[in-house]
Amino acid sequence: MWENRCKIAVSGVGFSKATRTAETPLAAHALQAVKAAVEDSGLKLADIDGLATYPELPATGHAEVDGISIVSVNCMMAMLKLPNLTWHIQTGSVNIGGAVQQAVNALLAGVCKYAVVWRAMHNPKGTYQNLPGAYAAGALQFTGPYGFGGPGQGMAVAYTRWLERHNQPREKMATLAVTQRRHTQKNPLAYFYGTPLSREDYLNSRMVAYPFCLYDCDIPVQGACAIVLTAADRARDLKPTPAYLAGYGQRLHFEVAGRIGSLSSYMAGGSSSAKLTWERSGFTPKDVDVAQIYDGFSASVIYGLESYGFCKEGEALDFIQDGRIELDGELPLNTFGGSLGTGRIHGLWHIIEGALQASGRAGDRQVKDVNVSFVGASAPIVQGTTFIFVKEPY
Amino acid sequence: MLRSIGWNKLNDTIVDYSDKTRETITMSDWSKVTRPIPVPNEWTKPFWESAKKNVLALQRCQSCRHFQHPPYATCVNCMSVDLKFEPVAGKGAIYAYTIMYHTGDKRFVAAVPYASIIVELDDAPGALMAGNLLEAEYTEAKVGRRVEVVFQKLNDDFTLPQFRLAK
Repeated sequence: MWENRCKIAVSGVGFSKATRTAETPLAAHALQAVKAAVEDSGLKLADIDGLATYPELPATGHAEVDGISIVSVNCMMAMLKLPNLTWHIQTGSVNIGGAVQQAVNALLAGVCKYAVVWRAMHNPKGTYQNLPGAYAAGALQFTGPYGFGGPGQGMAVAYTRWLERHNQPREKMATLAVTQRRHTQKNPLAYFYGTPLSREDYLNSRMVAYPFCLYDCDIPVQGACAIVLTAADRARDLKPTPAYLAGYGQRLHFEVAGRIGSLSSYMAGGSSSAKLTWERSGFTPKDVDVAQIYDGFSASVIYGLESYGFCKEGEALDFIQDGRIELDGELPLNTFGGSLGTGRIHGLWHIIEGALQASGRAGDRQVKDVNVSFVGASAPIVQGTTFIFVKEPY
Repeated sequence: MLRSIGWNKLNDTIVDYSDKTRETITMSDWSKVTRPIPVPNEWTKPFWESAKKNVLALQRCQSCRHFQHPPYATCVNCMSVDLKFEPVAGKGAIYAYTIMYHTGDKRFVAAVPYASIIVELDDAPGALMAGNLLEAEYTEAKVGRRVEVVFQKLNDDFTLPQFRLAK
């Protein structure tokens, strides 16, 4: 087990109100989320001495403009003018989970006391994946000429392989979309709060990239969320009940840059990251009371459930049936609605919900008697990160 | 509902996937699609030069004999830097696929729906190549189905390796 288990905790969390279009500059969303997280902790902005983010804009073919389409650490520093800042970083790989893990490491090293991590996501005007124009350079030269230029194709091709190898119908995924949308109705900050989804809606929806229909894809939004991390003994003196970090893992698994995502890469990335998390925390999948698994595309959840070890390969679409992922089920899943419910804010919201469930602060959607709360914060293939939060330090 | 579609009228058709009873399936119409032109780099140039001569050649490690695609600076199997391009037979199986209905690249809208496939060649296990399934209805794309390479000329400088169902 990890000697640093339960030494770091999540304290406050904060959000901006996500909108479909970018009426408010992204920097304002990030600032609102950060201020809300600090306030939730009961801290003052001047207490914050560590900053971390993963600023990437996943929409391709659009310019990265600081404050408008991304919010860098520099941008946040300029807005906050923190008098006591001692540590800051922005990560370029393993997604926002990597930034959270860097903040954990900085806190363990003692180079800062209260770190804030935020993720701000921009929805540009026009086509989200604006690919690739008259010429296809770099890795795109082997995909762009074939019209591999739309949403989620790397996910979609792995999904057809999964479905046909395991002889499973895509219609079973309706249960995930419908259950998560039901969870969404208990999350007033979610984009699809107030918009229910029926099984028929899912089955009749238009195809985007077979096997993905519209409701297999999260909707791009403009929004941000943030968390405050600190040492466990400091967290106990703050306003919210802490969620203790029992262990984490990360693994980037991409054999060759530009290679199209193979199912085996998804599985290898997920299992490597989860293995570290199980070993460090001392828990196993059977110990988990509630799970948040990244769902930018629905199939990510399938790869996650299997590669993290919650069920065997080929069984995930059966695993999610029969009420198992409901709030009172055997493994309540994506209890905040997931990205399919909140809109595309990437994995930080999954981490936040994992912490809220562990600290008993999830409100109407709180799962009963949670101690072990699992998070898979990003799609395993390119940037797998996993976390376990607990209520009771051990 | 799906309006009636003829051989070349797909562009005018709103495809409603939910209409499971549709009777007419047609081939994707590639005639109005202007494909992006590949921009080779120092690693990939031999691939495109071979393709121009209607030869499919993949990067092969001269040390451990492993084929890889896309081309890379080192052998992903044994880390050797001794890499050369060698012709392959161009027969293989569909490893995975997707049917594109909503394409981010508007230049491909005329061909929707179309099959984008990933092929694993018999000669080069693990080296996954992208392509379209040509000369067949897009519904013919299935994991494991046998395919063979065909060459599609883009312009005087570039020819695209593509795939069709194996004869």
